[in-house]
Amino acid sequence: MINLAKRDIEHTLGKFIVTAMGVGMLLGIVLIMIGVYRGMMVDAEILLDDISADLWIVQEDTMGPFAEASRVYEDMKNIIYVINGIDKSEAITFQNIQLPHSEKPVRVVAVGYDIYGSINPVNPKRLIAGRDLKTDHYEIVVTDKTGFKLSDKIKLGRNFYTVVGITHSTVSSGGDPLVYISLKDAQELQFLYSNKEIQNNEARGVKNSESHMVNAIIATVKNGFDVDEVANDIRKWQHKSVYTKEQQKEILTKNLIEKSAKQIGLFTAILVVVSTIIIALIIYTMTLEKMKEISIMKLMGLPNSLIVSMIVKETLLLGVFAFIFGNIFSHLIYDRFPKRIVLEIPDAWTLFGVVIIASILASFVGVKKVISADPAAAIGG
Amino acid sequence: MNQQSAIKVKNLTKNFGKDENLVKVIENASFEIQKGELVALIAPSGAGKTTLLMMIGCVQEPTSGEIWLGEEKVYDNKWTAKDTRKIRREKIGFIFQAHYLIPFLNIIENVTLLPQTNGVSEKEAKQKAMELLEYLEIADKAYSMSSQLSGGQNQRVAIARALANNPEIILADEPTAALDAQRSISVIKMLKKIAIEQNVAIITVTHDERILPYFDRIMKIENRAIVFHKLDEDKIL
Repeated sequence: MINLAKRDIEHTLGKFIVTAMGVGMLLGIVLIMIGVYRGMMVDAEILLDDISADLWIVQEDTMGPFAEASRVYEDMKNIIYVINGIDKSEAITFQNIQLPHSEKPVRVVAVGYDIYGSINPVNPKRLIAGRDLKTDHYEIVVTDKTGFKLSDKIKLGRNFYTVVGITHSTVSSGGDPLVYISLKDAQELQFLYSNKEIQNNEARGVKNSESHMVNAIIATVKNGFDVDEVANDIRKWQHKSVYTKEQQKEILTKNLIEKSAKQIGLFTAILVVVSTIIIALIIYTMTLEKMKEISIMKLMGLPNSLIVSMIVKETLLLGVFAFIFGNIFSHLIYDRFPKRIVLEIPDAWTLFGVVIIASILASFVGVKKVISADPAAAIGG
Repeated sequence: MNQQSAIKVKNLTKNFGKDENLVKVIENASFEIQKGELVALIAPSGAGKTTLLMMIGCVQEPTSGEIWLGEEKVYDNKWTAKDTRKIRREKIGFIFQAHYLIPFLNIIENVTLLPQTNGVSEKEAKQKAMELLEYLEIADKAYSMSSQLSGGQNQRVAIARALANNPEIILADEPTAALDAQRSISVIKMLKKIAIEQNVAIITVTHDERILPYFDRIMKIENRAIVFHKLDEDKIL
């Protein structure tokens, strides 16, 4: 039996391909949107996974450094360290800073850590050049996205910092590039005022604030101890908020990313609906163009099933080709976006399923037109 | 030529609308057309030629009356045939004013589409199609697209398509309307030959007086009734 859909597509191949490419670009954007969401999820967990702490001890009644401002004394790490079940504990800071760059300033999140401490947040697997911090002052490890190279000098506050290491794919939960500096440098940057400000404060009788503050204490728990029980002990006796790694992840993904995820989800849903409508309109137009032939086929006695199958097959093929073009398109452009885009195969297959359902729905308008076509319209008179 | 009835119509009536909007198009029409006959259907525009053609072709339902196609009674105040589309597919061939070939199929596919839908194998359908295309002297264009053929060539393909399902009846709606005089006569001669050699009844709607002498009978719609004219009558239209 003659495959009418195949013949029709071959007859208007150029038009079909251009149409599929157009719809494909829309589907490519859908994949990119899903990739943005996946990227946010990955970004959110990078720092947590690299630090690999079991407990996050933060200012009481706050949600921790990723969600709210938190200040605790640096020496709290010693108090935490002696609590039964704690293996290691260290102080850590996080702050948003702008790195001056020849082109334009680069907004980054700086992680300050004790370079002599027992927990190093620089994941050696991500270090692609140079080394991690070795001295207490004026060294910095940057991520490749900042555009700095080894040995570059960066002015931060009153001092110049030397780039000693470059990491790859290290970003904050918000997607900003990460840099690492020593805890002392971080405290200076965060809490040490300029000379003029200090003089000004002294003149007003204000004592300069304590610079031995950090944003959180991170700790690991010894084997054999229950993380939740140790966390409860700290909450009870130290008047601090304590979060396990899983709770921190939940704060990041549910509290911080949830809205963005919903927004992206809504955009994605709208794009899928728009794609469906466009496919439906294209199929409707393609069917309208063939109405004379369809009337003739019906007049000649061809069964509806044969004509309907032609329309449905054409719609499905349009959907499949658009999906293929969409995948190619998304893979060609995804690394041009400033933030991480993660394209995952299961997402692509899910979209494929959605496209097939959307194509079937879209074909209904063409099918309806075929069924309502009057065979008498083939005869003039 | 076998004198077998191909089309028999009895008291056929077709009205449109109701009550004060009632329009009577055909009223109590009765006639019979034999296999092998080439019959012209003439009438002024709007007199109901196409309506009559569509009722015989099981496309448009009459208001009342009876229609036989061959031995089968397809209408008796309602459709008695279960599947009118199947009747069209198996018993009737259609030829239109323009060729209306399916543009995305090549010539031989256009001709084999209907037989293949009727369950004829692709090989057998192609063999029959080639025979028809040779018969209509267009076999060398079998694998061309209709856009590559002239109007006359396409009309011959359309005739081949109408014959491909071995119909008992061919209904042609002004098949020469788009052709010049010479080609019109050529097409009618061809239809005449087909009617005799394939033993098919052909009703052709036409406005073209020049081709009327080639028909066996002239059927005219006059005052909603069907009347037959003889060819030697001085004035037909």
